Amino acid sequence: MRLLKTLIPGDIAAGLALTGKYFGKVFFSANRKKVRAHLKHFTQEYPEIPVRLAPRFRGRLTLLKDEQGEIKCVCCLACEKICPTQVITIEKGKMEGRKMPYPVRYDFEMERCIFCEFCVESCGFDSIILNHQFELAAYNREDFSLGMKGLGQNMFAPSPVGKYSVAED
Amino acid sequence: MPPMNLLQTIVMGLIQIVAVLIVVFIMVPLLTFAERKVIGYAQVRLGATRTASGTRGFTASLNRGMWAMGKVPVLSFFRGLPVFVADAVKLITKEDIIPAKADRAVFTLSPILSVVAAFGVFSAIAYYPGVMFYMPKSWPLIGGLPFNGAIADVNVGLLFILGLASVGVYGIVLGAWASNSKYPLLGGLRSAAQIVSYEVPLTLSLLPAVILAGTLNFKDMSVILSTGQGMSPLAVIPLFIGFFIYLTCGFAETNRVPFDLPEAETELVAGFHTEYSGMKFGFFYLAEYANMIVVSCLATAFFFGGYYLLPFGLQRIIPASVPFLGHPSFLFFMAKVSLLLFVFIWVRATLPRYRYDQLMDVGWKYLIPLSLVNLFIAAVIRYAF
Repeated sequence: MRLLKTLIPGDIAAGLALTGKYFGKVFFSANRKKVRAHLKHFTQEYPEIPVRLAPRFRGRLTLLKDEQGEIKCVCCLACEKICPTQVITIEKGKMEGRKMPYPVRYDFEMERCIFCEFCVESCGFDSIILNHQFELAAYNREDFSLGMKGLGQNMFAPSPVGKYSVAED
Repeated sequence: MPPMNLLQTIVMGLIQIVAVLIVVFIMVPLLTFAERKVIGYAQVRLGATRTASGTRGFTASLNRGMWAMGKVPVLSFFRGLPVFVADAVKLITKEDIIPAKADRAVFTLSPILSVVAAFGVFSAIAYYPGVMFYMPKSWPLIGGLPFNGAIADVNVGLLFILGLASVGVYGIVLGAWASNSKYPLLGGLRSAAQIVSYEVPLTLSLLPAVILAGTLNFKDMSVILSTGQGMSPLAVIPLFIGFFIYLTCGFAETNRVPFDLPEAETELVAGFHTEYSGMKFGFFYLAEYANMIVVSCLATAFFFGGYYLLPFGLQRIIPASVPFLGHPSFLFFMAKVSLLLFVFIWVRATLPRYRYDQLMDVGWKYLIPLSLVNLFIAAVIRYAF
């Protein structure tokens, strides 16, 4: 039996069939964008093709607005308190026609942020999220201080530096 | 055809040698590229897709244009191709280090020995039976002369090839010894044991082909074995078995996975070429890939149908009156060689390395008896049917 098994290399054939199957799969799909999307375990050609990220990827902190275009944040300071590196600074204010407090300032020091998502978890009003941006490098230290009225990048829009990264859908 | 004088013979010989060398020197780097790509694809990766920056240069702008149009650029497949030029340039320009305690003469000699043995074999291989084409009449000195399918039509071609190919092991063993270091020495010893023991089934697996064809001439053997003239239809059996035995031994002879014990990275740093660098290492590298091409050429010629379409002597199904498929062609030969080279890489992507005792088991306990049985079957078929 063992002799027969050695003489007829079925295991080797099975292994070759497996690698051959994957070779064919990749060979016939490697240069076609449509097929490629279905292949899960596949090298991502990152700078050229936008990279696929997990839905729960933790990127840069972003403030959200509701349907009327008003800031959802109500200045409960939960995020500011829970932040381990204390990168969030909020200044409370009042606005005409709005019951809840309104953030006059919402500052975010990205250089110290550790992207732990505690702020988002602590937020009771779903007013902040971490977006899917990860290409956040900049040349100047000032570029990491985000506020509500920044010119280059602010707390609402995705940062302009990530040329290839996906804006969240 | 007028008889050629000495000068014409020499010039034609040189032209053929240069032609074969150019083909081999193109095929070897392409093989390294193919190796990256095929292994990558088999492991569900992409392999090499880019050479340098992805945002600068002509090809990059072309690529970005195609990305912008929503298409995957054609170049993304071939962008890894310039890597082989980079490989060659790196090997040539790298500093050539000889260890202080090494035996300088032998250390230098062994890569040369290795590469000469690998390339010398190409002289006896016939790439086409008979004359490939005639030189144009208008050319001086060589006008109208035939360009043969083989550099030298040796009438004991197979013997010559086997003899020269087995010299290659001296390059490895001597290089390992001259390095004066323990890992190369162990690699060299392993290599010697492995190649010497696999030389036996390799030759024995080729003997059925010799018996069935009744000649040792490379070209004649190939033509007889593939067209099956004067052979019994049963001859398919020994040829089929012999093909697999030969291929297995070929893997061992060229030190390829799963028999790459001489350069087992996990145990011996890099095996016999640990101390080699620069172009000397490049020669070993070149010799390994040239040996792969040689093994593929032999397997193609004797078992896989040679210059004809169908393998194992099945060509008799197609009559010679069929326009393209019934005739020998250089293209068929090259296609089959490429297929076998792909199999080499495919196996490397699949199988792990054998243990040393398993290697010897496979060689002595299975392959040699099997090839002897195969030889017996071939002899019975030759004389009884």
